[in-house]
Amino acid sequence: MDTTSPRLRMSILGVVVIACFVALFARLWYLQVMEAPALAVQATANRTRTVATEAPRGRIFDSKGRVIVDNRTSLIVSIDRNELKKVKNRDDLIARLADVLTANGAPIKISTIEKRLSEKKADQLQAVPIATDVTEEVIHHLSEYAEDFPAVSYERKTVRVYPYGMTASNILGYTGRITAETLKSLEPGTDPDGVSKTYQPDSIIGLAGVESTYEKELRGTPGIELVQVDSKNRPVGTESYQPPKSGNDIQLHIDIEVQIRAEQALADRLAVLRGTAQKDGTKRGAPAGSVVVLDPRDGGVVALASEPSYDPQEFANGISQERYLQLQNVNGASALIDRSISGQYAPGSTFKLVTATAALSNGLIDGNSSIYDDGVYKVGNPVQEFKNSGDQKNGNINVVRALTVSSDVYFYWLGDRMDGTTLIQDSATAYGFDKKTGIDLPNESAGYVLTKAEKKALHNKYPDAYPNGDWYTGDNVQLAVGQNVVVVTPLQIARAYAAFANGGTVYQPHVVWKILKPNSTPSKPDDVLRVIDPVVTSTVTLPPDVRGPIESGLEGVTGGAGTAASAFAGFDLSAFPVVGKTGTAQVDGKADTSLFASYGPGNSPKWVVTAVMEESGFGAEASGEVTRHIYELLANQALTGAGTATTGTRD
Amino acid sequence: MLPQSISSRASNRSRRDPTAPLRHVDPVLLVCVGILAVVGLVAVYSATRGPGPDFSKSYLVKQTIFMVIGAGAFGVFAAVDYRKLHDWAWAFYGFTTFLLVLVISPFGSQSHGAQSWFALGPFQLQPAEFTKLSLIGALAFLLSEFRGDIDLRRLVALLATAGLPMALIMLQPDLGETLILVAMTMAILLVGGLPTKYIAVLTIVGVIGVVGALNSPLLAEYQRNRLTAFVNPNDKSNAALYNIEQSQQAIANGRITGQGLFDGPQTKLGFVPEQQTDFIFTAVAEQFGFIGSATVLLLYGLLCYRIWRIAQVSKDSFGTYICVGVLVMFAFSAFENVGMAMGIMPVTGIPLLLISAGGSSTITAFAALGLVLNVHMRRFQ
Repeated sequence: MDTTSPRLRMSILGVVVIACFVALFARLWYLQVMEAPALAVQATANRTRTVATEAPRGRIFDSKGRVIVDNRTSLIVSIDRNELKKVKNRDDLIARLADVLTANGAPIKISTIEKRLSEKKADQLQAVPIATDVTEEVIHHLSEYAEDFPAVSYERKTVRVYPYGMTASNILGYTGRITAETLKSLEPGTDPDGVSKTYQPDSIIGLAGVESTYEKELRGTPGIELVQVDSKNRPVGTESYQPPKSGNDIQLHIDIEVQIRAEQALADRLAVLRGTAQKDGTKRGAPAGSVVVLDPRDGGVVALASEPSYDPQEFANGISQERYLQLQNVNGASALIDRSISGQYAPGSTFKLVTATAALSNGLIDGNSSIYDDGVYKVGNPVQEFKNSGDQKNGNINVVRALTVSSDVYFYWLGDRMDGTTLIQDSATAYGFDKKTGIDLPNESAGYVLTKAEKKALHNKYPDAYPNGDWYTGDNVQLAVGQNVVVVTPLQIARAYAAFANGGTVYQPHVVWKILKPNSTPSKPDDVLRVIDPVVTSTVTLPPDVRGPIESGLEGVTGGAGTAASAFAGFDLSAFPVVGKTGTAQVDGKADTSLFASYGPGNSPKWVVTAVMEESGFGAEASGEVTRHIYELLANQALTGAGTATTGTRD
Repeated sequence: MLPQSISSRASNRSRRDPTAPLRHVDPVLLVCVGILAVVGLVAVYSATRGPGPDFSKSYLVKQTIFMVIGAGAFGVFAAVDYRKLHDWAWAFYGFTTFLLVLVISPFGSQSHGAQSWFALGPFQLQPAEFTKLSLIGALAFLLSEFRGDIDLRRLVALLATAGLPMALIMLQPDLGETLILVAMTMAILLVGGLPTKYIAVLTIVGVIGVVGALNSPLLAEYQRNRLTAFVNPNDKSNAALYNIEQSQQAIANGRITGQGLFDGPQTKLGFVPEQQTDFIFTAVAEQFGFIGSATVLLLYGLLCYRIWRIAQVSKDSFGTYICVGVLVMFAFSAFENVGMAMGIMPVTGIPLLLISAGGSSTITAFAALGLVLNVHMRRFQ
């Protein structure tokens, strides 16, 4: 065969050329058909940038449809401090900015700008707001002469408005910029259309209160614009745009009127008591306190007051570190703690409800079982003496009388008789103590009701903090009057009394009542996305022979012979019977914790009101007074129909 | 080849002469060229009009001018009997070689690290493009003279003829054009009857030469990176990969049916570099998809097939060698250019003939095709 034959050589050339084209076709098929989906994703990522706009958060209504958290648009001028460092004529820039702001209806001094710039912020990278709520003219000027104002930025933000100011701040919480860690871990919610409410590095999230627990509902769906950019990252068009959508509105069980009254009454009473001396001469610090108003019929939280408190508005545009520290020490107490759910106190005599229930339902006593109260109860060997408060002698008393006059001796006796059992602890558990209530607010405390075994375990675990691991009769005696081995939150007390009031059902307290559509009208049934149903966590068995004597005893408390008679002097108890129990818990070296737990009206309870006030003295004189002020409003609502729900009946 | 009797008889009848050149125009070749040229204009315009709204037409206008000039060159190179051009082959070779010397002198201009063009007002003249055609002519001349009898001395003459312009182009440096010249030379020598042993030796020398060129100081670091990027597509440190990635994404983005004319986002937004020239195929592929780009490749293949066929039906070996040269010029530039855009060939800046923007390459391509048609038309004379 002639290997130089032109025909052969032409064929070889043809085969080579064909091979080249086959390779091209194969690669083209691979790229455009087989690999296209994967490569297209890369390509889209390459040529688009996502620009997110925060959507307004949902509004918050009270139980009667009043807006208690709203939104408005705020124009904010900020300076980026890192950018400012790069600016040559820094002082000149600040002077010009002050001039522009002042000339356009937002007067500001250079020194004020400098002061804001020097403030220490929690987030150093965040631009510092220099002026909030500036006029449109300022924005016009700044955008027109943008080149003259490096490091200066402006933005249109929807910010939270609180029509009732500081009211209910402990419930509502506040919002703030998401942190880098939260951004990584937070699972976004979805809106009613199923669109994910994604977070961006500058997203605003709820940081406390219902703003935090209902973040997934309240957060709006951010507007997402997929901006097409060219190879030099200049925007050239919009690939897709999803407009921002407001978050879901929510409606609370809170009655803002009751809330205002509770906060006012509490703050006023603390202020009156602060610095005065209680009966034994100890000075009252009266730094803090809380009030819980529950609806015993479903566990709805009508009011939740905690003193001292803060203004959530202060957090809306970023709070200064200095102010944050101030809020942690108002009259010696932190304003940032909601004492109604996280404060832990010895319940004192309010706990006698639990002890009486345990004794009556286990047949230790009946309503007529009497002992002679000479003011002192002796137990053990060597003998240990337990006295009534103020060494009071009550004579021959049964459980009804013992509750009304708050005889400790009677309950010491019950504690003694139940020593060696866990009857009191079991009753406490049934009433919902010793564990979190599960309220829809963050940072709740659980409290504790120790048993013999738990005390031992605590001692073994922390021998220094609990030097004595043995359970003495004295422990059970103290437990019976809510001292020493029992710690509760004000909300737990309220829930226990709510259970007693409704006949034994222990509800999970709920602040939020309904989830509504975005931009809803609370009175429209169509706008309700869902109602948060009451949740029963446990029940207390309260047959008439158990409930009857206790009820009689508590009814007497606000009456003539009762421990809260002074607080309710002049209150029309016949029209609106208030059933309750005072408590005075001893605190070493300080004035007593004053407690009052109650419900009303006695015949068909609609409200449970409890107050707990630190270093404030006797139950009646502090908490009883506060509670009475609240009942005045509630009685007025109940009797005159004032403030009747406009959102449909709750009965 | 047709029997001698027919052609001699035909020469006596001038009015209805069945051997007359115009009776033997290859319509398939003309149609392929026409469609590819139109696709080229559309592709160049879509790649250069910008994201708007003020669309730039400057490249479109320029490329249209080049196509018109190219069509003129096509006519001239088809009309004048290629056997007369035989005598001008050396003059043409000499002239383009002189230009190659001139371009690396201070008269030439530089861009992208290569001194490869003359500035002529708004236009740029790239002598290396014309060299492709002149080398075809010179080699075809020599081989047709040698009549398949090639000894070592003649081989040296052939290699010297091809080597001189290659060396000058490597001085610019422009590896892509050099590689095309190498491929064309190899093909012409193959068909020209070079003994198999020489082919084997030349192949080995060629491989060594390519490896040597890649490591020679003539190439800057970035140029070497470009050339070797396709071998290691996952080497993130190689900046040249960005271009290949972008171009492959743009091609993939076309999917089967394409994004539609002027709707290719990668194309529109300028993500693919040098898109009107080196990466013109991405514009076609993104906008017209697999269907469109495969059709363009098919047209290219059909064009190559026609040239290959004309090489075989040529009346003389001079015509055959010309066609072989032009065939490889088209096939190789398509393979290299499209292969580079798809990441299977090294990044060398050579145009996709008839489609890429560029005056010198477009005019050269038309002229070369004119010559091929010339051979076809005169296969009976």
